[in-house]
Order: sequence, then structure tokens, then C-alpha cells
Amino acid sequence: MMSDASPALPSTRPRSRLRASFSEWSDRHFRWLLVVPAVLLILSLSIYPLAFSLWVSFVNYDFQIPGHAFVGLKNFAMVISDPVARRSLILTVLLSAADVVIELGLGLALALAMVRRFPGRGLVMSILIVPLFISPVIVGQAWTLLLQRPFGPTNYLLGQLLGHEVTIGWLTEAPWLYIALIIADVWQWTPFMFVILLAGLTAIPPNLYEAAELDGVGGWQAFRLITLPQIAPIVSLAAIFRLLDAVRLFDTIFIMTGGGPGTRTYTSSYYLYTVGFTQFHLSQATAGAWIFLILISVLVGLLVKRLVKAEPA
Amino acid sequence: MNDRERREFEAGLAAEVDVWLRGEPTRRSFIKRFGQMTGMLAVSGPLLGSISRSALAQAAAQLADPTTPLGQAQAAALKASTEGPADGSAYRAVQAAKKLQGVTLNMTYEAGLQALDPRHFSGPMWEQLTGNKSNVVELSHPDQYSKPVAEHIAGSGAYDILDIEPAWTPSLADGGVIAPLDDYIAQYMNKADFDDYHPLFKALPTYKGKIWGFFDDGDMFALYYRKDVFADPKLKDAYGKKFGKPLEVPKTWEDYAQVAQFITDQMAPDLYGAGHFRKAGSPGNQFDFLQQFRANRGEFFDGDMKAQLASPAGIKTLENMIAANKASIPGNNELDAVSLWAAFLQGKVAMIYSWPPTGRMAANYSQSDTAINFIPRSSIAGKVGYAVVPGNPEHATGYSKALAADSANPEAAYLFMQWATSPPVSLARTMLPYALRDPYRLSHYKSELYGALWPDAKEYLVNLCNSANVGLLDMIMPGWQDYALSLDRMCSSVWAGADPKAALETAAAEWDQTTERLGVDSQKAFYAEYRKLPGSSADHTVEALGMAVKL
Repeated sequence: MMSDASPALPSTRPRSRLRASFSEWSDRHFRWLLVVPAVLLILSLSIYPLAFSLWVSFVNYDFQIPGHAFVGLKNFAMVISDPVARRSLILTVLLSAADVVIELGLGLALALAMVRRFPGRGLVMSILIVPLFISPVIVGQAWTLLLQRPFGPTNYLLGQLLGHEVTIGWLTEAPWLYIALIIADVWQWTPFMFVILLAGLTAIPPNLYEAAELDGVGGWQAFRLITLPQIAPIVSLAAIFRLLDAVRLFDTIFIMTGGGPGTRTYTSSYYLYTVGFTQFHLSQATAGAWIFLILISVLVGLLVKRLVKAEPA
Repeated sequence: MNDRERREFEAGLAAEVDVWLRGEPTRRSFIKRFGQMTGMLAVSGPLLGSISRSALAQAAAQLADPTTPLGQAQAAALKASTEGPADGSAYRAVQAAKKLQGVTLNMTYEAGLQALDPRHFSGPMWEQLTGNKSNVVELSHPDQYSKPVAEHIAGSGAYDILDIEPAWTPSLADGGVIAPLDDYIAQYMNKADFDDYHPLFKALPTYKGKIWGFFDDGDMFALYYRKDVFADPKLKDAYGKKFGKPLEVPKTWEDYAQVAQFITDQMAPDLYGAGHFRKAGSPGNQFDFLQQFRANRGEFFDGDMKAQLASPAGIKTLENMIAANKASIPGNNELDAVSLWAAFLQGKVAMIYSWPPTGRMAANYSQSDTAINFIPRSSIAGKVGYAVVPGNPEHATGYSKALAADSANPEAAYLFMQWATSPPVSLARTMLPYALRDPYRLSHYKSELYGALWPDAKEYLVNLCNSANVGLLDMIMPGWQDYALSLDRMCSSVWAGADPKAALETAAAEWDQTTERLGVDSQKAFYAEYRKLPGSSADHTVEALGMAVKL
């Protein structure tokens, strides 16, 4: 119960009422006020540039042609009719698929090897994940130094192994240049798969394997019937994450092949960079980026749908 | 306040007091801290800015030992700036700029070595002389074009002085990105300085009758060869027996491939006849094709602006280049300019043609500065000869200083440009060991100080001048980036096995697309302007026009 000697209560004058009602309003909407800065930040750094790029893709925005005349779908048509753009998209799909499949296989193998404890496991795991922390530009430069003739040691070492001279042009001759790009990517990103899959493997309840062992289930069957189904969702997740990153392949190509020879190692990202920042056709590059974004969104939609289905209800 | 309001108030107060006692953040404390953080951010911006400005402020100019040729050239530049002659461009620029004290000039430079001159030498010296500061904005090469255009569109006035390729001048002038200098030149410059430019470079910043910058980097390709190899009696004898003529530094592209193949056959794997930077984007392909194509009397466009790449001259050019590739060091098609320098400096290659720093590096002059420690020390110093590239050498890129049209300090910017490119100051700048600025004035080629930098430096300068006499210019017209990219793609695809004729046709089709995109009539007019320049074709060189400079 409140005593009469309690502190004086706020007056009921209009100004105090206003303050009280503001206080009540702020109480009710405080959570929204908290997110306002973040929303403004997103709008200014993400939505506005996105809307601006949409406008750019429908006008002339070429540093060599004055003015920003509306050109309709011309920029999109130029990308679609450009054979280099089409080939770069096909290469993007092929390289990304190859990268992800190989990285998934190697990552799973490494995770299976590392799931049991053994002396030095921590050290080996630390070494395994080092490539993840290296900038792709440095990775590209390192592999260039290893593969580029006449200075790179790769051909010499292969020659020593094979017993005859090896003169592979790793950065200029097909199919070796594709293999070189895949090797560089796999070297850097297999640890990503490994880390995620290892987390998935360690989360499988051991009692499943104990029960299987009691039932006389062999190692391969346990892997096929227990391990794979248990880690299937995380495999999908890892593959999706990695695929979304792999389709943006640019850095290593920029360093290792410069998109060449000709346009043979143009990926979509490299194509867009060249059109936008070497040739300065910004509106065409932006239209291409929108086409690429739409294609990626479709792919992501399909993969996420599949991932959600894979999750138990 | 009624009972309900009072209860709610007390409950709220109690809740706030409770969380305060528990040490948890309350709404009040959150807002307070948020306000504090916002205030700190507002304060920290200018604070950090001033700290970083102070940290990045120009130090005193790095001057060489005054007893060395470079030190003497720097002292001469300083003297010309402070004592005159009174009609000298350097002196007049300094005197005028002193009246504009407190100006900070924002100038673009290619990131890396190019930016070291304004950071370590010309920027600090200008500040010491005039009190005007400089802020070097380092950009990648493509950004040196795109950023100024973007800033011009935004009207930001971010830059005062632009380092641009001469090939960009028409586009940037027509786009209003750069401003003409004629009025300032009339007011401040000693016109005799124009006559000090080599004729190949003199007209480069001129467009539609106005002057849009000062040329500032003589990027002449030249041939660098191993004198000891060409003087080897056994090799000379064997070559004479095989081909019935003496072993000499080649003067035609056919001879070049033949000599390179001969040296490779005789001396590989210790030494190979030639090396080239052929990696896609390196950017040797386009420059080499352009110089050989025109030496073979190829024309870029016909009267209707249709590309003429897929011509007998184009085929011959690619065939010569393929022959040279076969005669070259393994991995020739994977090399960029720096890798090629490394191969040459390590004594693995007998002939290369490249930019002028090759001569300075081969003599170990460049490597005297730690900034170039990524280039190996030369094992062939004293063994390198200089010659004009067979046919006609390319002036590959180059740089002009241009005045940004949106500059808030155009007069101060102009005065710096005039000072930096004046004969005595530009000489000191081209002599910096880490500089990638190459001689371009007659006074540079004739300089006793430059000629004393290493034993053969005088021959080096004479060869650069002779190369400029017969030199060819890049295409100075809009779309240059597109045309050059098509050539690079064409060449690198041919190195990978594509049919030369088909590759030429593809490149020609890309050129036609570029021309159509930019407007056929407009491009035709630009091309006509370009054709007037000395060095636009093999029969329109400085020498062919009777303007050759003989030292």
C-alpha cells in the first residue's frame, strides 16, 4: 500500500500528458525504432543501388557515349546476343558444378577421416583449413607461380615423376587451364566442405552405429544407411552455400588466365567485369548482371525448395 | 494521474530500477549509450580524418646524393624553380602558385610505382616551393579512365589533375571531363618548352585545335638484345654458314623470328632467342600486333570505317608472331611484362622488346631503389645493346597530365602540371630509379646527367629518340579499349591454336560492332583526326614527315 508520504506524483498538466503519451507510444513502438537505423542502412546500401542499377540497365550508361537516353531492352538484347556472354555462362555452370562435386567428395572423405580422434588430429585439421583464410587473389597468384612456365616447378616435378619431359601449358592450353582453375578452387574451398560435413558427422548419435553393429551391419552399409541419410540435409546445405559462391568465380581467373586464351576462361563474373570495367559499357554490364541475378535466383529457389523438402517435418 | 496510471508508472519504474540493479541495460541506458556512441562517431570522423591526414602527409622530398647524376638533376630542377631563368616554365609556375597558398591538389596516378614520384619527389617538392599540398589518389589503370568520368557525372570535383592515356583525350574532352589549357598556357608557359617535346609526342594532347594536357611519359617500345650473344664468333660463323648472311640485330620481323629460332636451336635450354609478354591482358598482344600490322602496311579501317584486320597484312602479322613464339622461351605465351623482364634479367633470353624501364633494369639502375626489389638484379648488366624494334616500334600507352574540368582549383592544378612537365623538373622525374616515367623531351634525350646514370645510358637515350622517330601511336580515338581488347583476345586465342584467319575475322567483326556502337560517322571523323598525327601509320611517321630528331 502506498503511504501518503510518497513522493509527489507527476502533475497532470497537458505537457506532462504529452510526455506520457509519447512515452507510451515509444514503449509500444520501441522495437521498431530499434530497427530503423538498420532498415535505413539496408535501404541506402542495398535497395537504392539495386533500384539505380535497374534504371541503368534500361538507359545508355556508357562512358564513351554521352547522355542517358532510354533504350528499352537493348542492353539486355546485347548481352543475350553476345556469344561470349553465352559461353561464359556455360563455363560458369560447368566449372561451378565440377568444383562443388569434387570439393564435396574430398570434403566428405576428409571429414570421415577426421571424425575419429587420433594423435595430432588438431594440428592436421588446423593445417587443412588454412586455405580458407587466404584471399582468392593470393591463391591465384600462388598457383600461377607453381604452374606458370618457365618458372613454375610443376612441369619439372611431373617430369621427374614420369621420367620424361613435361611441357604442359597449364595456363594457356585446353583442357589444362580448366584443370588448373579447378585445382586452385578445390584447394581453397575443400576445407569449407570439410568443416561443415565434419560438424554434421559429429552430430550423428553414436547409438545408431552401436545398434547397427549389434545387428551385424558392416561398415559400408552403416555409411550408406546411417551416415548418408543423417548428413543429407547438411550436405545439401554445404553444396548450396558453396555453389552460390562458386558461380561468382572471378579472382583466380583474373590472376591465373586473365580470361584467356581468347575468351576461353571467361566466367559470367569475368565477362561482366570486362564489359563494365575494361570496356566501360556499364549499362550492358548492368543488364547482364540482372540476367545473371535472375538465373541465380531461380537456381537458389530450386535448391532451397529441395533443401526444405529434405528437412524432416 | 489516476490509480491505474500511477500503478503502471510505478511498475515501470520498479522494473527499470530492478534491471538497473541487476546491471542489465534498460531502455533509458540503451538510448543514453546509443546517443553517446552516435556522438563519438560524429566526433571520431573528423578526428580520425585529421590523424590519417597527418600520417599520410607528404614528407620532405626524397633527394638523392647531390654528387650523383640524379642528385644534380634534382638540384637543377630546384634551382630552375627558385632562381629561374625568369621566363622558364618551372620558375613562372612556382612564382604564380606561391600566390595561391593553402591549396591541396587531388591528383590521380596509377597505383604502385607510378605514384611514388608524386609521393616522394614532385609532390613534396611542390609543397616546399609553393606551400600547396598534393594528395595522390592511386587508381588501377582502367579506373584512371572510369573514375574521373564517374566523378564528373556526379559533379563531385574530386580530382584536380588526371593522369590519362593520350588515347583517352578525345573521349574525355568531348565528355567535358577535362578542360583545355590554352588560356593558362598563354598566361604562364614559356612556349619554347613545346619545341622541346619529341615531335611524336608534341601533338598528342592536341584535339580539335585545343591543348588538353601535357604529355608526360615516353612509353616507346625498343629492342633490347644481348651484345655478347650477337658477338659470339661461333654463333656468327654458324649463322653465316646456314643463312649466307651475317648474324645481326634483326631489322625485319622475318629476320627477327629467324634469328630468334637460330639462337634457340643453338643455345637452349641455357638461352632462348626471344621472349614476349603474350599472356591475355598482359597487355603485350595488342601493342605487338599493332606495330607489326602497320609495319606490314596494314590499314585499320577502310573509307567506310570497316575493319581491315582480316587482310594479307593481318595474316602476315600473325604468322610472324607465331613464328617468333615458336622460337621463344618455353611458357612465352604465359608471360606478362614483369615475368618477361625477370627472364631477360636472369640471362635466359637474347632479345626482348618492351617499355623503356627494360634498359634501366638491365643496367641495374632501377634496382638501386628498394621499391623495385620485386625485380631480380640483372645478371646481364653491361651486355645489353639497344636497337629500334624491327619495322616501326609502338608507343605503347604513354601518359598525359590533364586538368579536371570540375577542379575547384584549376589554376593551381594547371601550374603544378606546367611545373612537373617543365624540362628541368621532368628530367629529374624521369631519372628517378623507381619511376616508370620515361624520357620524352629532346632535353631528356640529350641530357648529360641522364647519360651518366650507367655506362651505356647515352646509347639508350639515342635509341629511344631514334625509336620515337619511326614510332607508331596507339589509336587515339574513342573505343580504343574495345579495339585493343579484341586484338588481345584474337592473339591469345591464336596462340592457343585458333585459326589465324578466323580469329582475324572475329576481331574485325568485333571492331565493326564497336564502331557501330559509337557511331560510324563520328568514328570516321575521329579516325581522320588520328590519321593526321605523326606516327599514325608506317608511312606517316615523324621520320617520314621529315621531322626526325638526330642526336
